[in-house]
Amino acid sequence: MKALIISILLTGFIMAQQVVELKQPNSSKMVVKFMFKNGSVCDPQGKEGLTYTTSQLINQGGTGELTFSDIQDKIYPMAASYFSTVDKEVTIFTFLFHKDWLEQFYPIMIGLITNPSLNQSDFDRVKNNQQAYVDQVIRASSDEEYSKKALEDFLFRGTNYQHMVEGKTASAAAIILDDVKNHYKNFFTKNNLMIGIAGDYPDSFLEKLKSDIEKLPDTKPAIPAPPVVKMPDGIEVEIISKEGAFGSAIFTGYPLSITRADDEFAALMVANSYLGEHRKSYAKLYQVIREQRSMNYGDYSYIEWYHNGGGNMVPPSGVPRQSNYFALWIRPVQIAKQLKMQYEELKDVNVGHAHFALRMALREMDKMIKNGLSEEDFEATRAFLKSYIRLYIKSPDQQLGYLMDSKMYGRDNYIEELSELLSDLTLEDVNNAIKKYMQIYNMKITIVTDVSEAQPLAESLKNNTISPMTYSNLVKAGLSEDILSEDAATENFKLNVKIVTVVDSKDTFK
Amino acid sequence: MCRLNPFLLLGFFSILLTNINASDQKILPYPISQYKLANGLNVVTVPFDSPGLASFYIVVRVGSRNEVESGVTGFAHFFEHMMFRGTDKYPREEYNSVLKMTGAGANANTSLDRTIYHMTGNVDYLEKMFELESDRFMNLHYPEHDFKVEAGAVKGEYTKNFANPYQRLYESLLNTAFDVHTYKHTTMGFFNDIVDMPNQYEYSLKFFDRYYRPEYSTIVVVGDVTADEVNALADKYFSEWKAGNYTVAIPPEPEQTEKKTVHLQDGSIPPYLSLNYKGPAFSDSKIDMAALDVLSTLLFSENSDLYKKLVVEEQKLRFLGGGAMNSRDPYLINIQASFISKDDFQYVRDEITKAIDHIKTNGVSQKILDETKSNLKYSYAMSIDNPDAIANSLCHFIYLTGDPESLNKFYALYDKVTNEDIKMVANKFFNDSGLTIATISADEIGGVK
Repeated sequence: MKALIISILLTGFIMAQQVVELKQPNSSKMVVKFMFKNGSVCDPQGKEGLTYTTSQLINQGGTGELTFSDIQDKIYPMAASYFSTVDKEVTIFTFLFHKDWLEQFYPIMIGLITNPSLNQSDFDRVKNNQQAYVDQVIRASSDEEYSKKALEDFLFRGTNYQHMVEGKTASAAAIILDDVKNHYKNFFTKNNLMIGIAGDYPDSFLEKLKSDIEKLPDTKPAIPAPPVVKMPDGIEVEIISKEGAFGSAIFTGYPLSITRADDEFAALMVANSYLGEHRKSYAKLYQVIREQRSMNYGDYSYIEWYHNGGGNMVPPSGVPRQSNYFALWIRPVQIAKQLKMQYEELKDVNVGHAHFALRMALREMDKMIKNGLSEEDFEATRAFLKSYIRLYIKSPDQQLGYLMDSKMYGRDNYIEELSELLSDLTLEDVNNAIKKYMQIYNMKITIVTDVSEAQPLAESLKNNTISPMTYSNLVKAGLSEDILSEDAATENFKLNVKIVTVVDSKDTFK
Repeated sequence: MCRLNPFLLLGFFSILLTNINASDQKILPYPISQYKLANGLNVVTVPFDSPGLASFYIVVRVGSRNEVESGVTGFAHFFEHMMFRGTDKYPREEYNSVLKMTGAGANANTSLDRTIYHMTGNVDYLEKMFELESDRFMNLHYPEHDFKVEAGAVKGEYTKNFANPYQRLYESLLNTAFDVHTYKHTTMGFFNDIVDMPNQYEYSLKFFDRYYRPEYSTIVVVGDVTADEVNALADKYFSEWKAGNYTVAIPPEPEQTEKKTVHLQDGSIPPYLSLNYKGPAFSDSKIDMAALDVLSTLLFSENSDLYKKLVVEEQKLRFLGGGAMNSRDPYLINIQASFISKDDFQYVRDEITKAIDHIKTNGVSQKILDETKSNLKYSYAMSIDNPDAIANSLCHFIYLTGDPESLNKFYALYDKVTNEDIKMVANKFFNDSGLTIATISADEIGGVK
């Protein structure tokens, strides 16, 4: 399977006029998606963020005939909506409308994609928001999202996966309207497009769409290859020191050589679900860090990019990637400054819970690697996933999105195939996948934390200092022997830390 | 029971909607079945074409609004956490294992007026979902130590939220806008109360005893089910649930008589302004809230004159939006704007006021009124494309009035909104005496009049 995909990629990723259809005769909602194989990897050096600017300008601009405001006037009574998303390797435009408005909405949709106005005034508006995001919003609005984006910056440093899709401070500033016009011509072409359509539409609608989309540029886009990232040598930590942070937000990751394209991915999925299924209390990390110790709001693991984990309960479609990595997400834990303020008995602590939480997460993962899953855990987790993956495709939009992603991985219907792969799995398959792909010795870690915590935490990590869990007296009094002995084994669990650096928040994403 | 795997069939969800703008058409194109148990528990079923899948919701009409005693703000939300801490029959670990077996997506959330518990998954496990939920709703029993530990997770939730300046402003805004009503605090609660939560074990028992009762709760099931199946399961698992007799007295908020302001000095995000007018309580029979929805939609949508001027043409704003939140007691009508420059705070505030004042006198055109009603209805029709979305929207109206039919009644009210109603609500609610202005900028004060 993997070999097949690579050969397609090497020959220029044949996508021209690829159409994914999802006929729904009883549905009155229409979903149309245009997926361009053109993500942030296509941003030119020094203009990182250009794909995002282009997609936003299409989305927030007009057509050859209509201004942005004209379009808003027309679609207002329809309550139609559309939006674009950009990831590392794809850009997707999604249009949602009621079939009552099929004919009226069509010219707007096709006009935006094939004949966008791309004018200076809309550009200024879009660019200003993009600049605010990279300069301010990412640093200020969610430390969790900040640490996640910072991890990608760290893990993929020096590659075309490093920068946020929105770009960096200097690169976003450097983008001008002509860059967008050229980028549209060179990368938003009929030769790297997949169309997806769901709903109750006549064949003639699709035929017209297929014919009109031919107006897209006929350029042969030069899509850069995604990076092959070297495994870090040991654990490297980057602590981002931020004024006024309330806790320590942690993300870790190391490169993973397989993706959904590989059948073995299903086995790894079972292991990952057991260890750290997203937002689920039955997973190990959640149980030991949140449920037994209540150190934070939750702790999860990932074997592929999970967009907007704070908002999504199931993984959204539209983010197919070839360069993959394993990740742990430890949600903000307490810092020393806060613990001291809250509890008289903790007035002498110098480092908050981040070091202990990291040790606990990696130790739990280590246990799974060493012991594997039991037959019972394997069966329970597999049964869970077989039902749960159905929830990924609850709505027509999600169904269509997953079908389109399937093609990007060389699959026909990922959810259907995954279900079969899960059925065929054995415990041995899962435990072999764990041995092959999971490890705790080499990875990169980013921690966004308060200025008061950054240096003491850096020292603690660098020196592998013992980091006892600090409970309030109230909680401490009721801890079981099991918890206490686990804590004792965790507090000096050796992490293979090689390098720890502290970076000022102001110096990130420059 | 063994079933064919229906999920693999393409096109398995359907939305049947016809004549959306016909005034005799209910907005929810599926019949709502209601069945009341002798103990007062209402059971709502909406069969929906989602083969093999069902959403099972329980909405409890308790939220931060009910937190009348001092020192226990945030308790409704904290209690939602405690509901996952197990019973004698299903201790926490056992509960987790069984839930995992069902493969359902399960969670809960709390807001001003309600707490919602939900599971969506394989309909073959519907009976197991009923069993699990009835057990914890009737027999919740957690060790005191678990209670103390769980408080840390709530603090963790506060910690992650606190990173966001908008959240910090919102906390101050409510504390300023309200004097005595429990809407004065956020659903998370005041931080000092959160830190003190481990000491409130006894209160937690009282809280459960008061509110986790059939008369406060409604079961909603949407999906591949029939009302008969659901009602039989409700009889089997919930008929033993004892009704309570607690009623809470929420202190009414006195009428606001002068403009208030609140400011957060923070230069880390783009300058931000929100105008917050005291609004009405939700009603599915009085025209006020429906008229306000129409008014705020036409005032702040991306095709509105204000949006075109301030966001698209003059580019003073990055974002403009607004609307009245549905709540059981009068809450806030909120208008939000994100700025390029804080120097434009007053200008934008004045432009918004001018637009509202214009409507107070002149009303709006029939065309925009009709288009707005169409927008509201199509928006809803487009949103109900899966069982979760339908269950959520039913729960919304159940927590407001207790009656799921309020959904259909409320959307029918939109049809009745006239130009006079628009002028009436503009005059009634958009006045400086009921306004709280909230700002974020690098300056020490917001400075908006």
